Amino acid sequence: MSSAPPAPPRSDRPPSFNKERDEFIQTFFNKGARFTQELLRENELLNQQIGELEADNAAMRLQIKSDQAIRELLTKITELETEKAQLLSEVREVEAKSSAVEMTYSEVETELANLAGLYVASRQLHSTMNVSSAVRQVKEILEQLVGAKTYAIFFLSDDATSLVRIASRGLDDSETGRMDLHAGLVGKVFSSGTAVIAEDGNLPSRHEADPAACIPLRIADRVVGVIVIVATLEQKARFLPVDYEFFKLLSGHAASAIVAARLFADADRQVPGIESFLEHGV
Amino acid sequence: MAEYACLIIEDSPMMRQLLVFALARVRNLRVTEADDGVDGLRKLANARFDLIVTDINMPIMDGLKLIRRVRTDPVHKDTPIIVITTEGAQEDRHRALQLGANAYITKPIQAPQVIAKVKELLGVP
Repeated sequence: MSSAPPAPPRSDRPPSFNKERDEFIQTFFNKGARFTQELLRENELLNQQIGELEADNAAMRLQIKSDQAIRELLTKITELETEKAQLLSEVREVEAKSSAVEMTYSEVETELANLAGLYVASRQLHSTMNVSSAVRQVKEILEQLVGAKTYAIFFLSDDATSLVRIASRGLDDSETGRMDLHAGLVGKVFSSGTAVIAEDGNLPSRHEADPAACIPLRIADRVVGVIVIVATLEQKARFLPVDYEFFKLLSGHAASAIVAARLFADADRQVPGIESFLEHGV
Repeated sequence: MAEYACLIIEDSPMMRQLLVFALARVRNLRVTEADDGVDGLRKLANARFDLIVTDINMPIMDGLKLIRRVRTDPVHKDTPIIVITTEGAQEDRHRALQLGANAYITKPIQAPQVIAKVKELLGVP
């Protein structure tokens, strides 16, 4: 058995009221729908922002990591730079030491060469008891070791009033063969016993009135002659330290070598008897 | 280490001694001395030398004649030769180089200069 649904109760409200009610409900629902849509949009926006922030965060994390690596690299670079500076400083020190050693080596080599020159000159000077040979040795020292181009060797005359030229090179024989004991620079050097040596760099173009060097020749404390180096070879612009040593050698040994050779010749090359040595023995 | 032989031909005993002293500073170099060109040739005939140092102005046989003879010697035709000349002897120097000398040194000699030239020609440090 079926029964019909009950008929809605008949409203006794006025129709205008129902319409107002329906409009209100409609408006209410519409507002709700709009609010919901706004909420959904906002939610979507917020989700989007969250996504963006997460992405930024991730990027920042990477950046921080990268910065850290850079900081480490920079620290490493600074350390390496310090190490490099230290190594360079050490290299410079070693180079300076090496340069100093090289310089010392070169100085020692030069000193050895100078000593060898002096030894050879001294040995040659006393290697002969022949007058002309002794004079030749003096000339060789002047020419080969000192580099004299024009020069003269003067000895005191027998009457001790003048200086007589006993050997020369590159000078006119007619000139300055004999000179007054007190004349000019040569006389001054003879009287004072002190060498006069030009110290400028113009030695090759010197002349007789202004010679490159005047060296007194001594036997013990007596001056018995003078060597005059008028000019030097072209490549010898100035005297070197070793030349001063040659001058000392010549000053102290040349005259005694020549005079000893002369005396030996005068004695018919006879060695004195033993008695003459015993007289002077201690 | 290789040993080198050098012949010094110089009539002046003083110069010869100086050269001997200078070359004593070169390691493994054996030095023989000769008084003049003829003596030099005699020594060259009896031994092999790696270097010749010779004066130009010498009695009996001068340095130029010696160079000419050495350059025709099958044993020593390529041996380096250093000539020692005096300042004004530019013609001699030129002639010596033309005849086959390899280098020259001008008097007064400086030991370091001689050593450097000898080392250069022997190719030793």
